[in-house]
Amino acid sequence: MNLTQIILRPTSSKLNFLCRDVVKGIIVYKNKSSKELTPPNSSSSSSSSSDSDDDINNKTQKPDAATKLNLLLKQMVEDSSNAKSTIQLAQPTNQRNKGREEKETRTSQSIEKKVVNAVKNVAESLGGDSKQTESELLMKLLNTTETQADASNNLSDILKEMKIERDVKPDPSRAEQIRHLLQQIKPETRMAQISTSPRKPRRAVSSKLAEIELEQVDLFNGPSLSIFTNPSVLKESPQLATWEKLHQKELKLSITHPPANYFQEMILWTEQGKFWQFPIDNAFGLEDESKVYFADHVFLEEHLEPWCPPKGPIRHFMELVCVGLSKNSYLTVEAKKEHIEWFKNYFEDKKKLLQEVGALPADPAPPQSIDKQ
Amino acid sequence: MNIPSLLRRRLYKVNILSRLVSTSKEEKIEIPYRINRGPTDILRALESTITRDTTAAHYKYHDDPYLIPMNNLAKRSYAMAQEAGRKAAHWVRSENPELFNHKECDPPIEAFFPKLVYDENSEVTEMDLLHVIERNHVSDAALINNLLKTKGVEIAPETKQSLLELLCYNNSEEFLNEAFIEERWFRQSSSNREKQRKTWKDGSLAEEIFNSIENPNAETYSAIIQGMAKFNQAARAYHLFEEAQNKGLILNVDSYNAIIKVINFLKEAYDMRWTFVINLLEQMKATGLKPNLETLNSVLYTLSNMGGSKIVKDFAVKTLREFKNLGIEPSLGTWYYLLIIFCKDRGPKSGILNNILNQIEHKQHEIYDISDTYFFVTAMDVARNHLNDISLGERVHKLLLFGNNYNLIGDSYKESIYYRHYFMLLISNLPIEEFMEKTYNHLVPNIYVPEPSVMKEVLQQIDLNGAIEYVPKIWSDMVVFNHTNRQDLVNLILTVMVENQPPTESDLVEKFCNIAWDIYTIIDAINEEKFNMIKFTGEILGKILTLVLRNGDFTKACDVFEKLDDKHNIIVGVPSFDSLSLFVDHCIANKSPSRAIKCIQYASDSGFPDILILGARLNEKLTLDESHLNQLSKFINLKIH
Repeated sequence: MNLTQIILRPTSSKLNFLCRDVVKGIIVYKNKSSKELTPPNSSSSSSSSSDSDDDINNKTQKPDAATKLNLLLKQMVEDSSNAKSTIQLAQPTNQRNKGREEKETRTSQSIEKKVVNAVKNVAESLGGDSKQTESELLMKLLNTTETQADASNNLSDILKEMKIERDVKPDPSRAEQIRHLLQQIKPETRMAQISTSPRKPRRAVSSKLAEIELEQVDLFNGPSLSIFTNPSVLKESPQLATWEKLHQKELKLSITHPPANYFQEMILWTEQGKFWQFPIDNAFGLEDESKVYFADHVFLEEHLEPWCPPKGPIRHFMELVCVGLSKNSYLTVEAKKEHIEWFKNYFEDKKKLLQEVGALPADPAPPQSIDKQ
Repeated sequence: MNIPSLLRRRLYKVNILSRLVSTSKEEKIEIPYRINRGPTDILRALESTITRDTTAAHYKYHDDPYLIPMNNLAKRSYAMAQEAGRKAAHWVRSENPELFNHKECDPPIEAFFPKLVYDENSEVTEMDLLHVIERNHVSDAALINNLLKTKGVEIAPETKQSLLELLCYNNSEEFLNEAFIEERWFRQSSSNREKQRKTWKDGSLAEEIFNSIENPNAETYSAIIQGMAKFNQAARAYHLFEEAQNKGLILNVDSYNAIIKVINFLKEAYDMRWTFVINLLEQMKATGLKPNLETLNSVLYTLSNMGGSKIVKDFAVKTLREFKNLGIEPSLGTWYYLLIIFCKDRGPKSGILNNILNQIEHKQHEIYDISDTYFFVTAMDVARNHLNDISLGERVHKLLLFGNNYNLIGDSYKESIYYRHYFMLLISNLPIEEFMEKTYNHLVPNIYVPEPSVMKEVLQQIDLNGAIEYVPKIWSDMVVFNHTNRQDLVNLILTVMVENQPPTESDLVEKFCNIAWDIYTIIDAINEEKFNMIKFTGEILGKILTLVLRNGDFTKACDVFEKLDDKHNIIVGVPSFDSLSLFVDHCIANKSPSRAIKCIQYASDSGFPDILILGARLNEKLTLDESHLNQLSKFINLKIH
């Protein structure tokens, strides 16, 4: 592929712009450098390749100017490193210039020899580690000559581009023709790109996976840090109670998600204390009562013994009260006792009347009779 | 002949049976006297029989077609609306506590009672302080503590310690009410990013209390160190750590863990950090403390911030083995740290996920560390982006669905990232039919709503496979998921439809036409002042034109073309020449030369060079009158010269 194609291909318009930008940039650089270098020649600086070659010849003789140009060129090359690569892709082989270039290299080689000799002399005259100074100097010199060669190549290429573009511009009909041609091909190429491009990485990925042996890690077998070599000596440390409680709660909350069905919701409510707990227990939540034995609820006659006569209507009545109380599930044992106490006090108040009626035995006798028994 | 053998077989069977019976007789079945069941055990057993119904929306949404969310935004806002109602109820209760003091139920349900309000004039005792600490009410605790102080009431050291721990744990801030589950589920994990900088409140009440304790013991030091380290006040935490050690106090394991976790703030260079870690571990050993899981995870956390060099990986595995030898089982968080240590974006591919899965597969996992919730999303990320290995991805997914492991997904944000990775992995590695049938139709939209990037990938795969029968489905999903305002997606779906032309007899032609027309009306209806809206481009209109014309719908095509022609000064780009040429053909077929000429003129204005052909075709098929020819020649001549 040659440059003309790249420049003229409208499909890769991006590339096109890029090239143009580079060329524009270069025109500026070139103008600058040529002004600085060879003021008399500046009229002829309009970019023929032979001119630039001449410049290079001059450069080797005028090291000062050459370094300046180098600086500029280096900058330029760095600035447009992207563009450089595209340009190198499409490097045209200029047959005509080949012979000349060879000649050039030959002359520069001879110059290099001279330089080497000169450097050696300088190094020796300086004294000290002459070898090192020599090598350092040479390094410096040779490097610059190399970049020079590189840059000049680029420069000549770029200048050629400029020429071509100018050739093309005044002839729009030709450009139009080419554009016609390309546009007719365009949809096909685009389709091809679309259909092939995503497929390619897929294949590439699978093949890559097959090729690359994945690094396997043996998790538990092998050397360890060997710090805690004697676990039996170690003991668990006490943890901060509140901190630990909060931590556990945070852990629990981090896996508590919005309930996904009614059972989960019921679990949540149970945990929040809003729900009657399963398995159903009708004594749930009656903490105080759970401490009371059922016999205390049911057998209440013992509370009659200290005061109630062993027989007679009062005894009969109180026994019925006890039966009633023993069947009442809504009163606590304390309440039942209070109930009985109330009757005791009531009968105590009415003692006289009751004794008169004969419901209660006369005062001193009954306790004695109980004692006797 | 056959009977003896049959008989023998019978006999054999009987033998086997009798042997079975005899062995079972020998075994003693012990019926336990009683198995104690917790209050939720029965519910859990019942709950385990219900699997997620992917055809229904999540339980939290109302089962009403108008109230079922279909995209991510709606999912979030509906759930948050419900949460807002819950919050409103809480607010009403806290504003009118006197209305809620009736104690109807027995046993009383404390969750329904209004919160006790404390103010400057409250008569408080140490019991009240303990009560609010128990309920994690940080601000109330602070208030009561102040009240007690002004009254000169001396608080027991245990209560003070408890208060200090409460304040340190959450940086003296109030906790989010645990009733607000939705809020926690949808809260973006921005707090994760926040963790990277210092958030500890210097000079807060926690520090005040710490300073007020005259002879701080090891527990006091541990609390404040853990608090400071948790909120990245690394330098002061370490200072106190050293202070405590100089006093000869034996700090607990958690404070060592806390310091290990903030080493990244204390030391810059990687090797310094590691020697520091080793140093701390040696100290633990010297004081005879047994490290725990948290220690392991803290060390790995520190290692995970030390780059991806080989030596770091080596340390990580060695640490793991060390703790394994101590009998400390790694949690999912441990594996999460190992994954991020081994699978760096840049760096060699690592198959560690495979080794990890071999360890944890087919097991139900519990949460032991906060970092456990990061495992699944990271594992899927590694399976997709690091290895692009579908079998590993499937194994991770299977593990997620095993038992109650789904609880470890984290939150809604992590869940959707997890599914994004899972979808991307499947799309690029499964045949499109299998992906659509088994995964897409299964999980979308109730479990996961694909983001635009995933949708794009789906469309690209449809294009790649020419599976255009899914386009109508995808388009209707795009409408439901609110993706129609995405220029790139709309353009892509049009491209897919244009470039994969269905055979003329298929009903897809009409469906595509309808989709194109939908797109046209959607874009047409958009208010121009709206920010970030989708606009007509020449490309989009051209594609719509093509699709409409393929269905032979000339009137719609004329509408589209008029839009293109009228607004040519604000519409960016031009349609493809093919669509214009198709339109001209249809104009010819419908005997509408003036429209055709308009189209040719538009093509000429847009700089298409081939209008000559169009003109020639028009001239050939239809007999044009004088004025038409004049018009035509005007702009065609202009180009011919």
